[in-house]
Amino acid sequence: MRKRWTPALAVALPVVLAACGGSAPPGATGSDEGGGTGDTIVIGSLHPLSGAAAADGQQMDNGAQLAVDAINEAGGIESLGGAQLELASADTQGAPEVGQSEAQRLIQEGAVALVGTYQSAVSQNVAATAERNQVPFVIDVSSADEILQQGYTYTFRLQPSAEVLGQRGAEYLAQVSEAAGAPAQTVAVLHEQGPFGTAITESFRAQAEQLGMTVGEVITYDAANVSDFTTQITTVQESGADVLMVAGYYRDGVLVANAVQTVGPELDAVYGVANGAFDTPQFPGEVGAAGEGVFDANYRLDITNPETQELAELYEQTHGDQMRTAAVLSHEAVRVVADALERAGDTDPAALRDAIAETQLESLMAQSGPIAFTETGENENATPILMQVLDGNVRQVYPEEYAETPPVYPAPPGL
Amino acid sequence: MTATAEREAAAAPLPRPAWGRHLVAVAVLAVVLVPLPLVLPAAQQSVAVRVLVFAILAIGWNVMSGFGGMFSFGHAAYFGLGAYVSVWLLVERGISPWIGMLVGMVVAGAFAALIGFLALRYRLKGAYFALATFAFAEMLRLIAINSDLVNRAVGYNVPLRSEPSWAYMQFEPGSANYFWIALALTVVALVVTILFLRSRQGRFTVAVRDDEDAAAALGIPVMRTKLITIALSGAITSVAGTFYVQYYFFVDPDVAFGNSVSIQAILPAVIGGVATIWGPVIGAAVLGPLNDVTATVLRNPPPALDFLQGRAGLDVVLYALLLILIVLLLPQGVYGAIRDRVQRRRAGRRPA
Amino acid sequence: MTRPTTAHGAPAEDGGAVTAADPATDTPVAATGGRAWWRGAVGRTALVLLLAVLAVALAYWRSGSGVVVSQAVVTGILIGGVYGLVAMGLTLIFGVLDIVNFAHGAFLAVALYVTVEMTGRFGVHPYLALLVAVPVMFLLGAAVQRGILSFSIGQPLENQLLITLGLALLIDNLLLLVFGPNPRSVALPGDSGVEILGAVATVSRLLAFGVALVLAALLYLLLQRTRLGTAIRAVAANDTGAQLVGIDTRRIYMLTFAIGTACAGAAGVLVSPLVTIEPTTGELFNIIAFVVVVLGGMGNVVGALVGGLLIGLTEQLGALYLPGQSPLLAVFVVFVLVLFLRPQGLFGSKA
Repeated sequence: MRKRWTPALAVALPVVLAACGGSAPPGATGSDEGGGTGDTIVIGSLHPLSGAAAADGQQMDNGAQLAVDAINEAGGIESLGGAQLELASADTQGAPEVGQSEAQRLIQEGAVALVGTYQSAVSQNVAATAERNQVPFVIDVSSADEILQQGYTYTFRLQPSAEVLGQRGAEYLAQVSEAAGAPAQTVAVLHEQGPFGTAITESFRAQAEQLGMTVGEVITYDAANVSDFTTQITTVQESGADVLMVAGYYRDGVLVANAVQTVGPELDAVYGVANGAFDTPQFPGEVGAAGEGVFDANYRLDITNPETQELAELYEQTHGDQMRTAAVLSHEAVRVVADALERAGDTDPAALRDAIAETQLESLMAQSGPIAFTETGENENATPILMQVLDGNVRQVYPEEYAETPPVYPAPPGL
Repeated sequence: MTATAEREAAAAPLPRPAWGRHLVAVAVLAVVLVPLPLVLPAAQQSVAVRVLVFAILAIGWNVMSGFGGMFSFGHAAYFGLGAYVSVWLLVERGISPWIGMLVGMVVAGAFAALIGFLALRYRLKGAYFALATFAFAEMLRLIAINSDLVNRAVGYNVPLRSEPSWAYMQFEPGSANYFWIALALTVVALVVTILFLRSRQGRFTVAVRDDEDAAAALGIPVMRTKLITIALSGAITSVAGTFYVQYYFFVDPDVAFGNSVSIQAILPAVIGGVATIWGPVIGAAVLGPLNDVTATVLRNPPPALDFLQGRAGLDVVLYALLLILIVLLLPQGVYGAIRDRVQRRRAGRRPA
Repeated sequence: MTRPTTAHGAPAEDGGAVTAADPATDTPVAATGGRAWWRGAVGRTALVLLLAVLAVALAYWRSGSGVVVSQAVVTGILIGGVYGLVAMGLTLIFGVLDIVNFAHGAFLAVALYVTVEMTGRFGVHPYLALLVAVPVMFLLGAAVQRGILSFSIGQPLENQLLITLGLALLIDNLLLLVFGPNPRSVALPGDSGVEILGAVATVSRLLAFGVALVLAALLYLLLQRTRLGTAIRAVAANDTGAQLVGIDTRRIYMLTFAIGTACAGAAGVLVSPLVTIEPTTGELFNIIAFVVVVLGGMGNVVGALVGGLLIGLTEQLGALYLPGQSPLLAVFVVFVLVLFLRPQGLFGSKA
């Protein structure tokens, strides 16, 4: 026979828990309901702190927090009487509906602006929520072009769109290979089948063909469960391509590099565009020699900038981990909001939105100018740069102004 | 007495007057909940709406898997069809989601019947039946991901309207109308379930579940009965999908057809009580806020647990633990356990 | 006592399912021989081989490149070995305990992290981690069965499913808490490419494949030649009957789950050089493993290995037939066909 208290327990547990923690949530931020001009101003940070993308999500949340700390230490928002910032962090779990309800919650708790979110699907949802609540939303990472094609006026994006990434990726390939005297002619493409890989590939292909390259074999894969690429790489080898372009995420990027080493196709280069693996600090360590010479054209923190170096050191001290580019973008998203608050001298969301739209802010990223937004909310100076794994380290190699060292081309696998 | 037999006894058709009482209870619930959005803070209101979406999803699952006894692990298929059919009609053809909802119900019901027919035709049962439904939901997801017809993996955004509109089910953010629509849909789903179970067809469904051979011997058309049950279940679930898209403004193949949707259809029913009318609603009411509650506790932990703050993943750990505990301690679900207790007490008072 | 799966008063599974009532004609756990069975199995094997040859020919016709096809076949077989390896423990649990165990992938992830810690901290060869991972996972499996799952025996299928899903969630996030989200990796010393039939494969994959064969053989012997194995098979066939002849079914449930989990542990060590190790890595294998279990026949260890090979090949060749579609689609098509036409699995026998 069942014990009698069990049903009561099941009902009571959540209620009790709610009572323990529940005293805080609505108005946890104190007196400044609606983001008033009190002594703290809340910025909502929405990232995947658990789940498959937790590594990036936690880095991004840390990056945003470092920005808040730095601004507070420097005296807060001066035009608002030195108001301090507070970061309200929420875990989207990478799920759109969680992202949406968390965004709703943060707005209700008085967040004057949101930053986030990494996954495009979540960002789409949060953008719609922000728009409907008329609260500014600064996207740090999320590449889908569609997010800003909905006519939203409250959403801004720092990272370059998929279109820009693909285009520049093709241009850099043409320029670097020509300069080396071995112009890329036939490019094979291996991309994950989601919107990210597809959009990158489309714009890359268009630009590459315009520049006189041939895009031959195009192979798609399902990043969620692919476990080996030897067949695909053999297909590439048989197609006679001289460059392999790869658009995908971390785990699949590692598998590609390993398969390339195993099969050993005659390629001039393995060339990632916005690849989630090839430019990460973990990649050379994980694949060893297989990673040597691999390129990636991607948005990037500018390590030649002393301020960025300082931030990277601070990050490593605080969190004992190498800072990723995504963390810098979250850091910048908070800075954009703080800068706009300073100029607006007001926490009213509409005024804040207008101020963000007029942003002119020096960036810690490798950009072709300061952060500034177009009509649709894209960061007009956002651009990828070219990186290459050399001697087990990811190096900035092109364009020249950001180059730590010149690119090595051709860079056949197993160099 | 085993749990299975207990449930059998419990799930047997209730005596006639009980149906009337259930209908009255639904009416009371509706009346009590209507003013809720006027009381709740707006952030909690979005949780309340989520609870109702879960409830509809689970009410649909319960018809097929609880009352019909056919364990579905692929209700994402019907949820996703409801979502995709309505949003496709809206975005590509400008057709109101209300109509999309009806079309979605028909499509989902028909697809459910087709899957059901195949699975039953080949005599699949238990875990095998469940894995077949799961496979079909996954196939829909994979097809949607690679199909230009539905925008591939990108999915759809619901276009924002400049004016709130009942015809297009779009209101101010945080509008109470969303809650009321979800509540109305839940009430309709409950009433339909009750009426169905009271009908001849519904009694056939329960009879076939309890003893297929006996039912067939009595001349009940077994296959037809099962297919009608499955189709009804699919249609109810699709409503949750349609509403979901209109409320969350976005759908993609993972959101619509992902494995997690199938799990979310099962969870409230099991927590609340499978094969009971109120189980899915109670389960949704317990589960919906649970995630937020665990997250909140860890965001602002009581002083003794301060060290837990900001450990990513911990809220999910707590959630998973609670989930396991509830299922283990209350195998009949919350409603089932309460009902058993009441029945035992009654039996104790007047020994038969 | 009724069978655990007869949920909602559904009648017990008929011959379609593996745990059929008559143990004399239907032997769920591995096969106990019998001439008719062998004849049937040989016939089916021939049919499967014929289909495989046709599939390869079709792939050649579609891709027009012999090298690509032979690479697809080699890769498919090697990946298939990994799938079979992962599915072996699962099929045992499924066959004996009737639990759709969604925590299997999470257990595998635990073994991955054990390997990472062993190699990272003590610098040992990754395969030496087997000595630790297998016993640890055996104990963990026993503890989980005794401490959690044993209370759910007799509960309906969906309850058990939710409990294992909860377990998976719990384990994944505990790993996240303890080891953090950064991806880890394990390198196999001396891992390089080897040429086979014009195709290439890495040593680590070949070894994983070889061990999968050995493990399948060991499990088969365990089930067929030991007292414990006989008891396990008896419980799988008819737990009430087993109880009547004096078998402690509670103990058998616990041991079976522990053995199944230990298999996940072995699989985890062997795949560690092949994957990027993150808290959610185990989830990759869950779905495929279930497909393999059904294909091979519930509780059939050798069937799981063959099923794994078939799925590996389907995935690789399917990608050649349907470029632009997910290879999983082909896998699910095969899965549904097998479910419909031979729900007892390709190598289960019909009651």
